[in-house]
Amino acid sequence: MRRFFLAGVAAGVLLLAGAAVAQDDEAARAARWNDLAHEIFGAKPLQAGGAKIALEAPERAEDAALVPVTISVENPKEVKSLTLVIDDNPAPVAARVTFGPVGDPQSLKLRVRINQYTYMHAIEETKDGALYETHRFVKASGGCSAPSGSYDAQALAQIGQMKLRWLSKPQAGQARQAQLLIRHPNFNGMQKDEATQGYTPARFLKTVDVSLNGETVLHLDSDISLAADPAITFGVNRPDKGKLAITARDSDNAVFEQSFDLGTGGSG
Amino acid sequence: MSSRTVPFSRGLAAAAFAVFAITAAAEVPEPQSYWMGPMHGEVPAALSGARVLHAPELAVLLAQGQAVLIDAAAAPRRPDNLAPEAIWKPVPHRDIAGSIWLPDLGAGQLTPDQDSFYRARLMALTANDLDRPIVFYCHPQCWASWNAAKRAIGYGYRRVAWYPDGAEGWQDAGHKLVAAAPEVPPQAGH
Repeated sequence: MRRFFLAGVAAGVLLLAGAAVAQDDEAARAARWNDLAHEIFGAKPLQAGGAKIALEAPERAEDAALVPVTISVENPKEVKSLTLVIDDNPAPVAARVTFGPVGDPQSLKLRVRINQYTYMHAIEETKDGALYETHRFVKASGGCSAPSGSYDAQALAQIGQMKLRWLSKPQAGQARQAQLLIRHPNFNGMQKDEATQGYTPARFLKTVDVSLNGETVLHLDSDISLAADPAITFGVNRPDKGKLAITARDSDNAVFEQSFDLGTGGSG
Repeated sequence: MSSRTVPFSRGLAAAAFAVFAITAAAEVPEPQSYWMGPMHGEVPAALSGARVLHAPELAVLLAQGQAVLIDAAAAPRRPDNLAPEAIWKPVPHRDIAGSIWLPDLGAGQLTPDQDSFYRARLMALTANDLDRPIVFYCHPQCWASWNAAKRAIGYGYRRVAWYPDGAEGWQDAGHKLVAAAPEVPPQAGH
């Protein structure tokens, strides 16, 4: 009994010491988020998301250059856009996705780079202009200097190639989840070229537009925080027939276009 | 009490896992020369000619007050083609108190200018004493400090130590980090 008590006290002391250290950092992190939120959203207040918005990511990422993130919302019909901010990345705004009439914001998945232990914030902008946020802490580091996979000349020749995979079967009245993969190194300018020992110049996706039979599904704005070979999973409303068309633009002003016939399922 | 014991035991499980992860990573062989690949990735468990430290040993060494502590972490670089309106806001770099931050010292290859700058900088920091202990670190899974420590051995330092757990490891061990400013060779602006 006595032994148990001592162990408990030791545990309590350790936790308190940990909390004291975290507290200092917490204040700095809160101040940074405050600044960032102001820069991104102006004076508009951010409300606690509560059940409205959820953000999933591994607590400790295995690969900081490829961290899967899922944002999901409670009332997709109310949502205009979703923004993902990785507070401590040098370019913190990882992605902003604006949904069109046939886009379904219920679940959005992205893969990102994380440079150091950081908070991540997901912000829902509703159609009537309100902002709701949720956040989580992710332990990962070094994602920005990690190489973009094995991008050699051969891989670069495939730049802009796309694959589309439907993750669910079509069901009347329900949105269908699709995963889009775009072959692109998304060089962020912080990666070393092994041959020259210089830095590989940045080249990254800036926008992705997805439309269904001419109607907008979504528009994505992004830059260097998306992982190499960007993968985006999103919902499409009424994907019964026709074509899903993708247009991606990168920082070299290259335009990549591909369309997927829904009749054939478009699975890749 | 129970609300405290539960997270604590989870913490223990996490620590046990972390030890396992470090052991598993020990299979990376030491390169013959400097590591020329990407700076982020699995690193060897050892560095020939250097002592490998973890937080408790580092704390003891720093308390003795003799060691020169070098942070070899790279500094972030804004891409030229980032949209002008994009927010670029690198976090103020934080490292172990008392460190000198020498970004690029851990590059696979230095220009002659960089090499003479860093050699002179280390000479000044150690007061020309090749027996002064020097500790190099950056981040976990970061080759920059491995290269930097190897470089120092090449410069003739006899008491080189490598702290592979990096600033994050120091923080995880319950220590504070402090804001740091980089020292780079003159006109080395990227």
